[in-house]
Amino acid sequence: MATAPDAAPGEVEVRLWDGPVRLVHWGFVLLIPAMWASAEFGQMQAHRAMGYAALFLLLFRLYWGIAGSATARFASFVRGPGAILRYVRSGATVIGHNPLGALSVVALLALLGLQIGLGLIAQDTDGEFAGPLARLVSYETSRLAGDWHEAMFNLLLVLIALHVAAILFYLIVRRDNLVRPMLTGRKRVGTTVEQPQAGSAGHAIGGVVLSAAVTAWIAAGAPL
Amino acid sequence: MSRAFGSVVAMAVLALAAGCSSEPRSPRHDKFEAIAKASKTVGDELKKDAPDLAVIKTNAQSVDASAKALPSWFPGSTGPEPGVKTDAKPEIWQKPAEFKAAADKFAAAAAALRAAADAGDVAAIRTAAAGLGPTCKGCHEQFRVD
Repeated sequence: MATAPDAAPGEVEVRLWDGPVRLVHWGFVLLIPAMWASAEFGQMQAHRAMGYAALFLLLFRLYWGIAGSATARFASFVRGPGAILRYVRSGATVIGHNPLGALSVVALLALLGLQIGLGLIAQDTDGEFAGPLARLVSYETSRLAGDWHEAMFNLLLVLIALHVAAILFYLIVRRDNLVRPMLTGRKRVGTTVEQPQAGSAGHAIGGVVLSAAVTAWIAAGAPL
Repeated sequence: MSRAFGSVVAMAVLALAAGCSSEPRSPRHDKFEAIAKASKTVGDELKKDAPDLAVIKTNAQSVDASAKALPSWFPGSTGPEPGVKTDAKPEIWQKPAEFKAAADKFAAAAAALRAAADAGDVAAIRTAAAGLGPTCKGCHEQFRVD
């Protein structure tokens, strides 16, 4: 790849985010507003279909967090409070999620998981639209899940707002554009670093097949 | 956890609980919820490999009885009772003919479900059950606060 005109000598380009990480990320960026709109305008068939897509993305991302590229693996970026404090004090350059940003990743994935789980068992009062697992719970539980599913979206919005605010902080205060690497996968860094280890295509295909199979099974009402 | 923090949490929980039950709920609410539960039970049975026809029959009868009684759950001629938490729209009393037509559709669907359940014909129950939900939804869209 040709050196970009604004690349200072000594800068190296690292392959920061792999294709699966970026696809999952932008998939959620598209799905979340579309799912909100489908629910808001009563398009529940579409809402359910997109919910399955979200479930697939989440399952794949969890799998990729164990078997994917180095920067995608939870073990490589989820850190304790001590590491977070040290990072905040030092402001060191980190290849991948920094210890503070890791909290955002974990919180967003956990909340998406909770949100999808609630949607799977929720139903409306008319029984016209129900998640595929609503049959496994009582009417009260199903309706409560529906209410929480609706309320929880506001919490998701708060987390997304924090996420965007952090990106703006890095862009404006620290002059670090986090969006471009999430689009291109690449980032120029001034320090000499090793390329993060890339995940294998075989693992990616295995993850897609596994996540699709689990999603299809849940969509079918989780028959045993 | 410090005692002060514990008290704050306890107060917050109590305030939340109080907020949820500040107004008495209309007794009608429980009757509608019973319909929803009975229809869910029928639907859940139909999703099983071997639906329990006795369970379906009992619940179909319950829905049918409620459907027949439903118009009497909205007494008076002016509107919902004041001071009671309700999602009933004033349109129920303002447009009695439209409301009756919607209630009749539900009653017809419930009667069809009951007949199919009494006959013990799973295919017919399935068709009738699929026809029930839309009559709930149709009336709710017009006459219930979303």
